[in-house]
Amino acid sequence: MSREIDLQLPLGRADLAGLQLGDRVFLTGEIVSSAGLPTYERLVRELSEGIAPPVALQGGCIFHLGSALEARDGGWHLHYINPTTSTRFDALMPALIEGFDLLLTGGKGGLSPESARALARTGGVYLSFPGGGAPILTDAVEAVVEVAWPEMVSHYRIVRLRVKRLGPLTVGIDARGNSLFAQIDTVAKGRRDEILAALAQSRG
Amino acid sequence: MADDALIRRLGGELFNRAVRRVPDDTVHALRQAMERERTETARKTLAMQLRSAELAAERNAFVCSDNGIPVYFVRLGSESPIRADFKAALKAGYEALVENVQPPFLPHVTNPLTRERSHTGKGVPIVTFDQEGGVDWVEIVCSPKALGSGRWAALELFTFPSIAEIEAYVLDVAIRAGGQHCPPVAVGVGIGGTFDYAAKMAKEATLRPLGTPHTDPEVAAMEDRLTRAINALGYGPMGTGGDTTTLGVHVEWCAGHGFTPVAVAFNCWINRRSRVRIHPGGDVEWIE
Repeated sequence: MSREIDLQLPLGRADLAGLQLGDRVFLTGEIVSSAGLPTYERLVRELSEGIAPPVALQGGCIFHLGSALEARDGGWHLHYINPTTSTRFDALMPALIEGFDLLLTGGKGGLSPESARALARTGGVYLSFPGGGAPILTDAVEAVVEVAWPEMVSHYRIVRLRVKRLGPLTVGIDARGNSLFAQIDTVAKGRRDEILAALAQSRG
Repeated sequence: MADDALIRRLGGELFNRAVRRVPDDTVHALRQAMERERTETARKTLAMQLRSAELAAERNAFVCSDNGIPVYFVRLGSESPIRADFKAALKAGYEALVENVQPPFLPHVTNPLTRERSHTGKGVPIVTFDQEGGVDWVEIVCSPKALGSGRWAALELFTFPSIAEIEAYVLDVAIRAGGQHCPPVAVGVGIGGTFDYAAKMAKEATLRPLGTPHTDPEVAAMEDRLTRAINALGYGPMGTGGDTTTLGVHVEWCAGHGFTPVAVAFNCWINRRSRVRIHPGGDVEWIE
């Protein structure tokens, strides 16, 4: 039986160690996000060059979420947020996870085994967001705290948001590197022959 | 031409409608899936998806932040008196919407050579045409398409394949997509014809309302067994496990040569689509 758990950010490793695959999590506090491939590429490049990121990431989080932002009255107005496909960033995530000692990441669809191993090394967790959940996720945003790289298109910018009970988010990769996505994929592939046999039987 | 203004208006309305509501057949299929699901995680995910659809409808809000690229399918009745420069009018309607829509769309139209993103670009919107003999209406379907489910479509060319090979291929494409395409998805399969036409049939098959099996009982039986086969994989809603990976498989086929293309296309759970018919005199009937 999976559980519902409220987490207050910022987190420590101890908060994450007990999370189990399939647990549903609600986040309260500040999160960092971007949905831009060029953004993640630049973060990794600058990390290797020793340039500090424009938003504090050390020991924190970055989520694969895009934000529709509008400059208004000297600040930023958020129209909506939504997750993007995490595997697009697979080649970059291990460097980011280990480079910034990230404790939380997430988006939709999971990450590769290499990324899961990187999370195991930092004791971090991947949270699966509901795709197509823009109205629900946007309701959880209380404020836009910070926007970096504003010259980029809206969803590529790095955004720090204050959220209240953002979720439900499913624990997809736990702090030991176990991946719900990898487990489900292994089961599915293991069923292939049996399913083909059932198809043959059904054709008669 | 005479009806350009009408088509321009509908071009904007079709896209705007498609991104703010989940079609009725899809909501119904999601509710049915809730009743079948055996795992709590899957039921909770489906409940969240239904809640998101409900909130989007109540508030006239976007269901997803990625509204995709605009794709229109125009079906011209051979007896229709409607006359328009359809491509130009739909483009003008879409661009006017982009200019005025609130909240704004994110720029997702991508130049594939430079990766630059914008709200429009070369060849966009994508507009294709077909003709329906003996009817006096024009039908336009809008299907905004994004990477999330779009990237998992596939096509393979076989020579004289058996049904078993065709079905195994569909299953393998579903395994490759796994739970990445925001399931539960609508699956379209196109078999036969030519390279380009098989892809077109697969795409059009995804646009057929769920719960509407093929009229040929043998093809309907194939749809039913492929639906059960894909759901037996267990990827489930959002890929976090469960009995519902697809809300339905639709198959279309066409005679071809000995080389047989098989194409598979997916629509994510929000199954974006809007459809309008224009009758003689410009009477507009919203079908979905």
